[in-house]
Formats: sequence, structure tokens, C-alpha cells
Amino acid sequence: MGNSVGYIPSNMYDLYFHPEITPDPTEEPTFDPLLGFPNGRKAREMKVTEAEMVSAKLPLKDRDYCAHKLIDFRACRKENYPFVVNCSHEKHAFLTCKYDDFVIRMKEYERERRLRKKRQAVQSQKQLETIET
Amino acid sequence: MNSLTKGAKWKALWRQGLSPTTTAVRHHWNKDYKPGPFPKTQEERELAAKKYGVPIEEYEPYPDDGSGAGDYPKLPMISAENKDPFYPWDNPELKRNFGETLHEDFDALTEDRLDVNRQFHLPLWQLVAQFFAVTGGLAALILFAQPFKMYRAAVPPQYPNQGKTHYSFEQA
Repeated sequence: MGNSVGYIPSNMYDLYFHPEITPDPTEEPTFDPLLGFPNGRKAREMKVTEAEMVSAKLPLKDRDYCAHKLIDFRACRKENYPFVVNCSHEKHAFLTCKYDDFVIRMKEYERERRLRKKRQAVQSQKQLETIET
Repeated sequence: MNSLTKGAKWKALWRQGLSPTTTAVRHHWNKDYKPGPFPKTQEERELAAKKYGVPIEEYEPYPDDGSGAGDYPKLPMISAENKDPFYPWDNPELKRNFGETLHEDFDALTEDRLDVNRQFHLPLWQLVAQFFAVTGGLAALILFAQPFKMYRAAVPPQYPNQGKTHYSFEQA
């Protein structure tokens, strides 16, 4: 996985000088998500519905795949207030979920980058073969 | 209450004896603060100069343009910052002596207000040039760095209502 913070400057360098193999962090992945998974991938599962999130008054930015953990955490806080330290378990579960979510996003980015690199290598190999023959 | 202290002499004495001070403190003004009318003849000028303790050669009233300065002398603007701090002033806080004729805008020339005689260590155009050199240099650096974006290597945040399926990296 590497260090996601330590490579920030080299990300900057790569995006500017090698934009063909470096994905833009503001753009979605371009390859088929099931490419290279013969048995398919497990889809990410949303545990709560939109209506539940609206009812819990979750901000739009928090309506992601960790929303159920956040709802649990907030409910626990409300029940235990002011002894919110009792909700450390819920808080830890929520933050772990957010961390795993970010790991998936980093893996998707790295997958996109490696596939682009591979495509470039295949293309240059083809060009080499056409020159030789 | 008034009837209780009616016969007391100290009340009348206090009123009488402290009247100028009391009036000035209570109403922030006293009729003695008001300057005389604008001097038109040479005699009036001499009288006014004597009244304010200014030599007649240096006496020059404010122009009679309706600002209400009357015969008050037009003194040079010298801010308290520019006065000698080691001189034994009668009132060191205000750097003034007892009975000294004050500038008309004396309240604006104390140490916590304007310093009208301030002299910069460099000419003004050099100070302006320094300002624009620093801010312009920083702006140039920022503009130069605009195309270089630092970021954490991750795809945009994934939300379930984006109209596409998101996958984990586990085999189905």
C-alpha cells in the first residue's frame, strides 16, 4: 500500500510530467472494474436506505458506505450523553470503516495506474513488432 | 432629602467654590474654553497674543472661515512622539508643561494617536517598492505552482447514489 502521505510530492510530479499513466485524483477510473477478476468481485453493500439517512439528518458528505456506523455512533452519543466516552467502541468501528473505505479508494487508484502502465507497455511492444516485421 | 440638608452651608460652599471645575467635569465644557472673536485690528492681535502667551511675531490666528477657532493661535503641529522624552516635563504622560498653550488638535497628537512628524528610515517610494516586491514575489510563486497539484493517491469518494456499482477487492 505504501505511505499515502509520503508520496504526495511524487504524485504531483507524476501527474504533471506523466499524465498518460498517472490517473487524475478527481476523475473516476476508466477501466472495466471486473477486468482481471474471472470470478467477479464482491460489490460494496449499503447497509442503510436513503430514507433512514434523511431521517438521521446525515450531511450529504457522510452518506457513504459507512453511514450505518455513523448513525450507530450518533445514536450511542445521544443515549449516553454526557458520558460519551462509553461510545468509544462505536467511534472506533466508524473510524475503522472510514479507513477501510479509503484503502479501497487507494487500491482503485493504484489499479488504474498499473493498468494504464500495462496498456502503454503493450502498445509500445506492438509498435516494436510492426517496425521489426 | 433636600429639606434635610437645607440649612447646611457646605452645600452652597461646595457649589460655589468648585463651580468652574464642576461645570467642566459635568458638562465637558466651560465658557472659559471658548476663544475670543477673530482679531481684526493690530491691537486685538496683540491682546490675543498676550492672552495665549505667544510672541506677537509668531502669533497667527486660524482663518476666519466659520470653523469657530476665533482668535486661537495657529501653532505648529508637533506630535508627542516627536517631543524630547528626557526633558523634565511637568506632565510627562502628555509631554506638556503647566500653562502651556496647546495646539488646537492636541487630543489628536498624543502618543497613542497620530505621529504627524514621523520620518521613515527609507523614502516612501522604496517602501512601496518593497511591499510590491514581497507580495508580487509571493504571487508569482503561487501562480507558478498552480499547475502542480499535490494529492493523496486515491480515487474520488465513493457514494452509493452515484448510479454505478462500487466493488471491494474481495473475490466473489
